[in-house]
Amino acid sequence: MRRPLVLRLVEDYWGVLLILIAWEFWVAINHFNPIVMPTPTAVVGDLVANTNVYLSNVGITLGVAVFGLVMGMLVGTALAVAAWFSPVASGLLNPLTVLFSSVPVVALIPVIARLLGYDISTVLAIVVIITFFPSFVFASSGLRQPPAGAEDLFRVLGASRLDLLLRLALPSAMPNLAIAFKLAAAHAILAAMIAEFLMGTTGLGYLFAETKAEFRTEQAFGASAVATIISAGAFLAAGWVEKRVRERYT
Amino acid sequence: MKQSLLGALGTAIFLALWEALGRSGVLGISWPPLSDVLAMLADENRWPLFGRALGATLASTALGYCWGTAAGLALAMLAHLLPLLRRGSDRLAAVLNSVPSIALGPIFLVLLSRESTPAAVSSIHVFFIVFVSVSSGLARATPAHRDLFAVLGADRLKRFRRLELPAALPSLVSGLRLAWPAALIGAIIGEWFGAPRGIGILIINAMQNFQIVLLWCAVVLAVGSSLFFYGVLTMLERATYERFG
Repeated sequence: MRRPLVLRLVEDYWGVLLILIAWEFWVAINHFNPIVMPTPTAVVGDLVANTNVYLSNVGITLGVAVFGLVMGMLVGTALAVAAWFSPVASGLLNPLTVLFSSVPVVALIPVIARLLGYDISTVLAIVVIITFFPSFVFASSGLRQPPAGAEDLFRVLGASRLDLLLRLALPSAMPNLAIAFKLAAAHAILAAMIAEFLMGTTGLGYLFAETKAEFRTEQAFGASAVATIISAGAFLAAGWVEKRVRERYT
Repeated sequence: MKQSLLGALGTAIFLALWEALGRSGVLGISWPPLSDVLAMLADENRWPLFGRALGATLASTALGYCWGTAAGLALAMLAHLLPLLRRGSDRLAAVLNSVPSIALGPIFLVLLSRESTPAAVSSIHVFFIVFVSVSSGLARATPAHRDLFAVLGADRLKRFRRLELPAALPSLVSGLRLAWPAALIGAIIGEWFGAPRGIGILIINAMQNFQIVLLWCAVVLAVGSSLFFYGVLTMLERATYERFG
């Protein structure tokens, strides 16, 4: 039997609701100027009133994030396959990956901005870099973990190295790639937004920076709220994809 | 052995490429040779500046790391002991993790102060990673173990302390290792909102004043300190896996 919607909503989102209610009261009790700290209801009001402004910026940020995510995952997987083919390449690449996966990537944003210019290509580059590392790391380990004995079977049946890759290693790496996708999907939006905030000329991050500087704080928080919803949605959707892939390939 | 030789070679090629690209100047003034960056890092007159910035950032990172770990542990244990709260706390963690860090800055600025904003942003990053890893770790104890504890008459709390908590330790330390770079990123972003000093401030100022070599120095300091703690935590992780894994 399904329980009433309100009860399920409270059970699923009690934490989020608690924070929003506390926020509303906190602003009211302290009599904060809306420039300093708007209430959640004021932010929702602005979202409704200026939907068009948000929509055009969401389009840009989402476009860059999705394109960057796809490119980052393709490059990461391609390099992992190269490392799988050649032990020399894998030896050369492994320490560099460890190095880069522990690097605070935001620290690189200004450097990349100086190289590529202060526009959307820098934002794209950041998203590619952020999504590249998880896909390389997870694809590499996935390619190396075929089901026990399967590789011997392929050898006995005379499979070529390419057959081995396409029919055994890549399929058995799929669940791992799905985990990488889940990790990268939520971060892609947030990375795009930080890059836009620092040096962008369009997108949600830019909207945030611009409205913040003009003391239109409701809209700045509106931009953040939209980014939060998209990013959380991406995380949940990617989790669903991961589950499907895991069921299909294991 | 061969692998680590190749690894050293790969790193050396990377560094040599960096130096060569800088010397050739194909990428313009934005890409200084590695030796210029190292020379500035070695310049004793700059040490007080670097020291103050790095000290402030590391202090914020460490503070945020501790708070985030405590909060992540607390919520994960609460959700584990009270299953009614579990779904809601999962969603809370996912939503908190989806809030752009640049939006957290202004909130903490009002809620706390300029000085503590970096630590607060960093604690949110750490909180999510620790929460996720501890939650999955607490669920790791097998049904057979649970049955054994039940047969031997252990109550809920005893089972939690003697079985589930030790079983969650390996995931916790893996989470702790991944959380350090995230904590550092949080501190750097938090510093952009008016902190008096820090690596984040150094990066922003150098970027805006076109002090390219200084910018690279700040990045190298951030990366270096991140790698150092990452390495230390990796060793801790190995030791824990040997004992509890």
